[in-house]
Amino acid sequence: MVFSSLPFLYVFLPLTLAVYFIAPKKLKNTVLLIFSFAFYWWGEPKYAVLMLVTITFCYFAGRIIERIRETRWTKPLLIFSVAVPLGFLAVFKYADFLISTVNGIIGADIPLLKLALPIGISFYTFQALSYVVDVYRGDTPAQKNWINLAAYVVLFPQLIAGPIVRYTTVAEDLEERTHTPEKAAKGIRRFVFGLGKKVLIANVLGSLVAAYRESAEPSVLFSWMYAVAFSLQIYFDFSAYSDMAIGMGKMLGFRFLENFDYPYISKSITEFWRRWHISLGTWFRDYVYIPLGGNRTTKLRHIINILIVWALTGIWHGAGWTFMSWGVYFGVLLILEKYVFGKALEKAPKLIRHFYVIFAVVISFVLFNATTFTEAWNDIKNMFGMGGLPIITDDTVYHFRSYAVILIAAFFAATPVFRSIGKKLEEYKLTAVIEPVLLAVILIVCTAYLVDGSFNPFLYFRF
Amino acid sequence: MKKIRYIAIILVFSLLIGGTSLLGIAKSDEEISAWERRRLQQLPELSWSSLQSGDFMKNFESYLSDQFPLRDSLRRLKARIHFNVLGQKDNSGIYIAEGHAGKLDPVLNDDLVQGFTDKVTELYDTYLAATDCKVYYSVIPDKNYFLAEKNGYPAFDYAELFGMVDKNLRFMTKIDISELIEIEDYYTTDTHWKQESITDVAHKIRTAMGMKSDASYEEKSVGEFYGVYYGQSALPLEADEIKYLTNEELELCTVFNAETQKNTRVYDMEKLQSMDLYDVFLSGAVSFMEISNPTAKTGRELVIFRDSFGSSLAPLLLSGYEKVTLIDTRYIMPELVGEYITFKNQDVLFIYSTLLINSSGALK
Repeated sequence: MVFSSLPFLYVFLPLTLAVYFIAPKKLKNTVLLIFSFAFYWWGEPKYAVLMLVTITFCYFAGRIIERIRETRWTKPLLIFSVAVPLGFLAVFKYADFLISTVNGIIGADIPLLKLALPIGISFYTFQALSYVVDVYRGDTPAQKNWINLAAYVVLFPQLIAGPIVRYTTVAEDLEERTHTPEKAAKGIRRFVFGLGKKVLIANVLGSLVAAYRESAEPSVLFSWMYAVAFSLQIYFDFSAYSDMAIGMGKMLGFRFLENFDYPYISKSITEFWRRWHISLGTWFRDYVYIPLGGNRTTKLRHIINILIVWALTGIWHGAGWTFMSWGVYFGVLLILEKYVFGKALEKAPKLIRHFYVIFAVVISFVLFNATTFTEAWNDIKNMFGMGGLPIITDDTVYHFRSYAVILIAAFFAATPVFRSIGKKLEEYKLTAVIEPVLLAVILIVCTAYLVDGSFNPFLYFRF
Repeated sequence: MKKIRYIAIILVFSLLIGGTSLLGIAKSDEEISAWERRRLQQLPELSWSSLQSGDFMKNFESYLSDQFPLRDSLRRLKARIHFNVLGQKDNSGIYIAEGHAGKLDPVLNDDLVQGFTDKVTELYDTYLAATDCKVYYSVIPDKNYFLAEKNGYPAFDYAELFGMVDKNLRFMTKIDISELIEIEDYYTTDTHWKQESITDVAHKIRTAMGMKSDASYEEKSVGEFYGVYYGQSALPLEADEIKYLTNEELELCTVFNAETQKNTRVYDMEKLQSMDLYDVFLSGAVSFMEISNPTAKTGRELVIFRDSFGSSLAPLLLSGYEKVTLIDTRYIMPELVGEYITFKNQDVLFIYSTLLINSSGALK
């Protein structure tokens, strides 16, 4: 079930909120667990048990690690506790990738497993792992109550597409959280704006991306339009999901950390990754990069650490060489910024720095969205006029005319312009009327789009 | 003041999602959407197997969308926002130009055009090649031919389609009607042409087939007509009017419908109750039908292989033919045609729209 769907908005959400707020305090986590599990089961009936197995395993792992802390068994147990959920992830997400790679290298014919990818497995596995590691490190006590731990992992707002919420972030809220009209209203505002970003911007841009792929008359300009549209689509798609997750978390009394901070206004790739999918970046930093030695090591080792982390970041997004290359591409850029042109970049005019980031990111997403290297290479060749395409065609003109408004709107919405306007308007009394009306209008218009069965994929579902 | 704002936001949100949910529960389910001309999804049956397979979830989502309170108004709102606010030039592939709704069809499917001519050729080889039938073909351009390119909408290369058809069907006699048709000859809200506007087309075809063409008709109206694009575009387009041309000869004709095994009239007034008023013309989509014309004692027969455009054209071709047979191979296997008709000395016309030719997978 996706947030931007009628069953979620008009059946699941009202029912969950109603039962949750009626339930006595001590049963609220149980209510959340039941509804969250139902939410997951609705979209993934086949593999719901796998998630419960992961949770239960990590629950016992945490309890035992705490009990045998500082014995010689602690580390082996940690390794085992991390290996089992990672093993599930490896089997379901990466087995066929590995088999086909081995088949390709040694010319073998090992049959593929062809297992369906359980929805959200990358997200909930990382959350469960962070819990076990944090308990091992002594950053948090092991959760005694299975329901509380399960509620943390399956908490529906962040279950299937993040943000990757650390156990330490919500541990306190799981035990004791407050519900106020301010939190609820701010949560609603965040949720509705997220819904609007998803339905009215990301989905519309998605139809432009699809139109490029189906075009009988592609052109150089259409290739650029596609690349820009996809870069904007993936931002609005994913950040919208995070907005909705954070908003619903607020409604339920939780405080989730921000996951996006206007990444397209960055002036370097280093900054871009501090603003894009923050929860994933910090997860890899704290659980992979720093344990590998981070930057407190030799230059060569540091470079290797960066490349390992970014290859893993890439492969986390999808079991394919294009995803891994996408991650390594950013790793290389980060190394170059650190050791080659970072200082020169800092001195460069702002416009050049912005242009560099946008250019590098747009190219990266062409690679990200391609199913093969050949497709990526063809798309990039087309963008630079090397694919034998005309500069412009009637089809390009049509799609440009049709999507100009949304592209311009998306461009501004990807900057903090609207947030600044919103903050200024907060000072006015009339906002008390305008804001609820605006939220109602967005909700109604989004509903209209959903009723009409518009294009509505969620890109991050595949992760 | 902030507190009031927070309370207002909570109230508005709760009212909208909670109120709509309750409204949905209270509202009785509808069977069909006249606007969209389709059956609406009903509440799916709940069973363990349907839950486990995910079928229940999938069907429930369709059910909720189909039975959503104020569905038609919301679809209209979406279309308005799509066109007027987001500046989109089409809504789900439907565009408006020169007061007409058209459907984008920018890709020429070479394989399907080839498939069309292959299927027609197979019919010819099976039933007609060894007979003394005179065989003709005509291609009806769809609305995009007149609207799309001129108004900046992408369209496939019609000359290429016509060229492919002409090349592959060169063993038949072509009757070129494209120059006789204008955009005004089509309903504004539908794919089809208006019968009252195609008498010149009928005249040309009849003349080409060696028939006199001096019939006169009385124009009658059956009322307002909202075509297929009306529901799809969800825009407040003005209604068309269905008119039909009749005369004494047509009134006396009887139509045998092989599917229902019943006799009807050329203009089937029972279809006034159907979702598509265009079905008034020869009862709409029927695989095989015979029109008997008691006025004509000429012994001449006409066989028309056709799509839905042929329903409104056939009555205008009928005069002077003792029998007219209409065959729609979207609904009958070509190998079964021989069980219903023997080809011998008839005039045979293949007449199809470019819409069907470019999506010939619909033909059996």
